[in-house]
Amino acid sequence: MRLLVSPCLVLTMLLPLGAPLRSAAGGAAQGPRAGASSASIPRTSDGKPDLSGIWQVMNSAAWDIQDHAAQKGVPGGQGVVEGNDLPYQPWALARKKENYERRATLDPEARCYLPGVPRLTYMPFPFQIIQKPNEVTILYEYVHAVRYIFTNGTPHPRGPIDWWLGDSRGRWEGTTLVIDVVHFNDKTWFDRAGNFHSDALHLTERYTLTDPDHITYSVTVEDPKVFTRPWNMSMVLYRHKEKNFQLLDYECYGFDFEKLYPFPEVSSAK
Amino acid sequence: MSTTRLTWACATYAVLWLSTAAVTGQERKGTGNQPPAAKPWAPARLADGQPDVQGIWSAVNPGSTSLTNPISVNADFDQRAKGVEVRLPSRIIDPPDGQLPYQPWAAALQKQQGDAYNKPTKPEHIDPQHRCLMSGVPRLYTVAPAFKIIQAPGSIVFIWDEYHAYRVVALDGRPHVGPDVKLWMGDGRGRWDGNTLTIETTNVKGARLTYIGDFYSDKARIVERLTPVDANTLTYEATVDDPSVFTRAWTMRVTHRRRPDDEMWETACHEGNVPPDTWLLNAEGNKK
Repeated sequence: MRLLVSPCLVLTMLLPLGAPLRSAAGGAAQGPRAGASSASIPRTSDGKPDLSGIWQVMNSAAWDIQDHAAQKGVPGGQGVVEGNDLPYQPWALARKKENYERRATLDPEARCYLPGVPRLTYMPFPFQIIQKPNEVTILYEYVHAVRYIFTNGTPHPRGPIDWWLGDSRGRWEGTTLVIDVVHFNDKTWFDRAGNFHSDALHLTERYTLTDPDHITYSVTVEDPKVFTRPWNMSMVLYRHKEKNFQLLDYECYGFDFEKLYPFPEVSSAK
Repeated sequence: MSTTRLTWACATYAVLWLSTAAVTGQERKGTGNQPPAAKPWAPARLADGQPDVQGIWSAVNPGSTSLTNPISVNADFDQRAKGVEVRLPSRIIDPPDGQLPYQPWAAALQKQQGDAYNKPTKPEHIDPQHRCLMSGVPRLYTVAPAFKIIQAPGSIVFIWDEYHAYRVVALDGRPHVGPDVKLWMGDGRGRWDGNTLTIETTNVKGARLTYIGDFYSDKARIVERLTPVDANTLTYEATVDDPSVFTRAWTMRVTHRRRPDDEMWETACHEGNVPPDTWLLNAEGNKK
């Protein structure tokens, strides 16, 4: 809970009461403020906005991307889905409900699988962006996951490929990094509430640095096998500003085995 | 992963697996593992002054079988093609005898674990790599999969083409994380002295180093030295100091070559892994 609660407390102390707190507490992001100066954002030597740094969301989308009331162990939250409704096909809505009922065993996160995209972005763990001219690499604290986003103009490899995190090809549109992501498997979900997709998932992610410490992150989700139309989610990524902050680790499937290595006798003496 | 690549991966794995029995308990001396002759070479410098060592690298003679009697992943091929058994010198360059200076209890434990690896009967007999767990340092610099180096201002990043393992080594002089924070990859702090990157790694959990049960504890402190010898060669040395397991600090060396700058792709491991306990521990003949 260190990662979730302490930034929230800091935010609560820093922000004035009222509307800004409302939107920062989990509502869909408003996008770059009109008139915000893009001159003040950090830039790389090739003049692109520099997304490098350690970032994390401050919302409860990991539990449910839609509006939801609090439950024990689940913080309540305003959803990150624009308009809140998800346009499921009828069979898919039934499947979503079943997923929710059986989430303790069906959720791929419960098996410590790579959680897919965009879910990896809004898990309650920090991630680090390393930006180079031809490639943006994202390192996630959660299971040491890695995303390579190729920005050298190359196309997606020919499919079909069933990847957990898809294949990411990025390009700059003004100050926004736009990433086209395809080649997913059908095994990951959007959240712990059972929202899901098929292997036809196609994402368009947009990362826009609105000031030195905030990124507006929005995603267009297309999946004609599951949804009746494309839909969008949007949220804010916050830069970690703590002195000497760094990624640690969360080896989800490793905890049960720590006691075995390097040897049980050595481990028990720790 | 293409069918060809998958076949090779499986074949490599089988070679590593089968070759373990041959080396258990044998001793090799550490002579002959000399670093490539140093040539006058001035690497390009990045904006923050770091020598530019970015790109994809892999060990010249990789393999996790043994540090003291390593087997090349090419050994099986070479034996079939050339009719000779290829032996490599010990990776241990200090002590001079090429052996790991275990305390007596630790030597006994290593031998026991090495024997158990061939006929595993308990979960701890299974190597962490077979569970897709992070191998940590220095082991990840001995494995067959390549790694990629990315340098950002104030840090150097290593990402392996396996287990989605990575480490971010801070070069900005910041202190280590607190002693209670134990990490699978440890906590590395680096500095460049001329062409040599020195990384001090602490906060480890304790790790296996080879299939034959070599290990260090969570008390280990590792000093790594990474030196570009020329544009396509890196020398990696690691000194492991763990007074709770060894009688003295020891040092290993592995040479790495530059690989083609191909795209690195997703390396899911746990997701498709049949728990090794289910097929290894129940193997007929392993039961006592």
